[in-house]
Amino acid sequence: MDKKTREAIRYLGYGKNAVDEHTLSLISKSFQDLESVAVKKSIYRIFRIDHEDEYNFSIGKIHIYSKNLGKNLKGCDQIALLGATLGTKVDLLMNRYALTDMAQAVVMQSCAAAFLEEYCDACQDNIASQLQKEHLYLRPRFSPGYGDFDISYQKPLMKILDCAKTIGLTMTDSFMMSPTKSVTAVIGISSLKEPCHRSGCEECSKTDCQFRRDIL
Amino acid sequence: MITERLGTELLFLDGGMGTLLQEKGMKPGELPETWNITHADEIIEIHKKYYEAGSDIVLTNTFGANALKFQDDTFPLEKIISTAVKNAKEASFRAVKGERDTYVALDIGPTGKLLKPMGDLAFETAYETFKEVAVLGEAAGADLIHIETMSDTYEVKAAVLAAKENTSLPVFVTLIFDERGKLLTGADVPSVVALLEGLRVDALGINCGLGPKQMIPILDQLLEYSSLPIIVKPNAGLPVQRDGETCYDVTPEEFAATMKEIVTKGAVVVGGCCGTTPNHIRCMIESVRGIPVVPVVSKNRTIVSSYGKHVELGTGSKIIGERINPTGKKKLKEALKNHQIDYLIKEGIAQEDAGAHILDVNVGLPDIDEPSVMKEVIQELQSVTSLPLQIDTVDVEAMESAMRIYNGKPMINSVSGKKESMNQIFPLVKKYGGVVVGLTLDESGIPDTAMGRLEIAKKILASAALYNIDKKDIVIDVLCMTISSEPKGAVTTLEALKLVRETLGVQTVLGVSNISFGLPNRPVINSNFYTMAMQQGLSVGIINPMSEDMMKSYYSYHALMSLDDNCENYIAHYANQTAAAPSVSSKTDSELTLQSIIEKGLKDEAGAVTQTLLESKDPLDIINQYLIPALDIVGKGFEKGTVFLPQLLMSAAAAKNAFAVIKDVIANSGAPAEHLDKVVLATVKGDIHDIGKNIVKVLLENYSFDVIDLGKDVPPELIVQTVLDQDVRLVGLSALMTTTVVSMEETIKQLRSAAPNCRVMVGGAVLNQDYADMIGADFYGKDAMQSVYYAQKFFQDNQSMITSDKEEQDI
Repeated sequence: MDKKTREAIRYLGYGKNAVDEHTLSLISKSFQDLESVAVKKSIYRIFRIDHEDEYNFSIGKIHIYSKNLGKNLKGCDQIALLGATLGTKVDLLMNRYALTDMAQAVVMQSCAAAFLEEYCDACQDNIASQLQKEHLYLRPRFSPGYGDFDISYQKPLMKILDCAKTIGLTMTDSFMMSPTKSVTAVIGISSLKEPCHRSGCEECSKTDCQFRRDIL
Repeated sequence: MITERLGTELLFLDGGMGTLLQEKGMKPGELPETWNITHADEIIEIHKKYYEAGSDIVLTNTFGANALKFQDDTFPLEKIISTAVKNAKEASFRAVKGERDTYVALDIGPTGKLLKPMGDLAFETAYETFKEVAVLGEAAGADLIHIETMSDTYEVKAAVLAAKENTSLPVFVTLIFDERGKLLTGADVPSVVALLEGLRVDALGINCGLGPKQMIPILDQLLEYSSLPIIVKPNAGLPVQRDGETCYDVTPEEFAATMKEIVTKGAVVVGGCCGTTPNHIRCMIESVRGIPVVPVVSKNRTIVSSYGKHVELGTGSKIIGERINPTGKKKLKEALKNHQIDYLIKEGIAQEDAGAHILDVNVGLPDIDEPSVMKEVIQELQSVTSLPLQIDTVDVEAMESAMRIYNGKPMINSVSGKKESMNQIFPLVKKYGGVVVGLTLDESGIPDTAMGRLEIAKKILASAALYNIDKKDIVIDVLCMTISSEPKGAVTTLEALKLVRETLGVQTVLGVSNISFGLPNRPVINSNFYTMAMQQGLSVGIINPMSEDMMKSYYSYHALMSLDDNCENYIAHYANQTAAAPSVSSKTDSELTLQSIIEKGLKDEAGAVTQTLLESKDPLDIINQYLIPALDIVGKGFEKGTVFLPQLLMSAAAAKNAFAVIKDVIANSGAPAEHLDKVVLATVKGDIHDIGKNIVKVLLENYSFDVIDLGKDVPPELIVQTVLDQDVRLVGLSALMTTTVVSMEETIKQLRSAAPNCRVMVGGAVLNQDYADMIGADFYGKDAMQSVYYAQKFFQDNQSMITSDKEEQDI
């Protein structure tokens, strides 16, 4: 079983329980659908980061306060800002399944999330290999909405990436991404090579979460 | 006038603005539009350099100057736009001194928001936003409007309508395509061209995103499809990241060399976008000056489109699915009356899966608000299918409102040879664009002869031409009369079809099923007539794609006439089909009981087995002995963590199929419909994630609740109104994020004051019991089953409360 299938199963709430054949076939159909309808687009830009103190820092004109992100970016004087999306056709297909086959719709949601994570990993690997030449290393990616990194930072971050124009990623008035299967993330860049959990799930303070990876 | 020069000589646009402003010290995050006022001299200087380089048209520095994007309270939008136009005019005055004609184009860029249904920006809000900019631009003295860097056909449509309805300026439109030749929202070149030609813009083309070399394949496609002058405005190459800066590496000389190729191919308005400088423009003009203009030729291609797809008529025959039409369909009529839009949408999806290329949409019923229902159905359909639609109505108001909000270039059904009809429909086609079905009937009725129908077709084409509507946008329907009352009906129709096709070279359409009205076993006649009609040149048939007989005709005709390469479609459709589908019921009946079928979530088997059981059992017994116990077991398993969400939903779908069979039997027996408790469900305002709400809906329906689903992003007022109008006692609200829980709280507040007896249950990713208590909800459902249990208990308690009230009164 590949990583994205395992992740999709985790998102579906199976925990350590065995997955039935029927659901597995819905999962494999979802990934097939995604391969054909998703239009993966991403953009990243590298910015300098100015630390005022442990929890206050600025990226260009954007001032940010966050303990969790502050901890994550300790020792970094640059960040890569990443925007990535699977495009609107994935939403269209999910709308469609919500009408015709709710089980497939739910499985599709989880698979699309896993598919997007896999794509973000690939984007991050690409940035990492670019930077490795300069002996710079990446920290785990961290998105607005994680921990105390407020979701409202989504707006200025998307603006400086010009996401609407470059990858067709926009935000609603309530800070939701549209297309829905999209990510923006801050990735710390440091000259120190530190052990890097690429995904931040284990870092989260919500230890009773039923989807948590390290208690499963 | 610029429109007189357009297409007869090369016209030169300017180049980039943003990179030059950065060089002049503009900081990242600063709004470039404010520089029109704070740094007017720098802006004038940049414009001036472009005029000096030879630009005929300079775009104002107003790319982001719209109320949605330009959120800055230092300057009002009016001042930004008027100053921007003034700056460009001043630059022309300084550079050209009136020695040649130059133009100022009001630059309109995208709002940066995605329109509904995918995003949260309403079409009319987008329209109003662009209208404000366009009106201000014209008042300030702009010579034309250039809408650019658009990546969504729907947003482009709002912008073009706003410009054309509120100003008299010429309109240029350029969009941003990627290397696959697609917009970010998925549209291809032919659908973009179809849309913009339909909206009657003056010139169209590409800008931004790509360098000149990468634009050539897209230009080739534009040249193949467009009957309008073409604009090409590339970046100075693909962006490269260097030291945190975005750089463009194509030099002025390289740029000029490729632009020469682009002009030689046929672009007539050229300039540059990101990264290009006055030097790029100067070099470009030097290299292309003197190249003869490639004349713009009309392409006789009949194309309908949606936001992501186009369908061209002319090669082989295409299928318009006829099923979304209440005529003669009891269930669909009921669904329309009860506002069950989902039912219609599912008909659409089923027809797409069956092979339809275009979907007809007819919601005409007495006593319904046709304009509003038509709009709603079209928007809902366009959120699940990318097939182009055919708007089918005799209500002109419904036609116009549907054409306005349709995303793409629709089919229009229909206009006839009657003067009144043409006077009503052609102005709409001229304004919004569309391919219109022309019925060969007029004030004297339907002619008996093929020649008579040809004459009316000619009349329709001639009248259309007066509105500047091209022959390619008319599809003639020579009409078919049922052969049960008109013995020569089919003969005349087939003759007329051929005559019209050959004499006028126009595309043709027929509502095929009419031919057999009043005869037994209609599919036999229909499918044979369908083959004959295709043979006579039927471009597109309005048929039932769910009918296997019709699809057999369709696939075999195309395979036989060498219109299906290597018989691929035929083989794909029939290779794995055995002669007769084996009956599932006899086998599974003995091995699997209905109860275990539901538990296993086998939805196809559930219906068949229920059908068999009904031969020996009472419907209510089936429900009580098989369905309810099965649902209980699955529900309990879900609670215990032995059954998981996908399985719960598969069982729900199986149970739904079983219930549907039972309901049909009860309805046919004439028994009165059971009274169901009503529950309103909605994803709150501002929230566009509705999967949680949809899960709860499926389960509540399983447990026999009448669910009124108001959808997503639902304003509190609509929820309150529905509760009051339909006397609803229980509302379920869902919200995904902290940012939308605010709307949930507001909805609860409004419900409390307007409908104090109504209870509210809430659920969603960010909620928990504390949060639910804080916003005043009556119940927090941590998962979908909890909501079902709460609803059951609520209505049971309520029922006993009402009963005990009654008993007390009786005493």
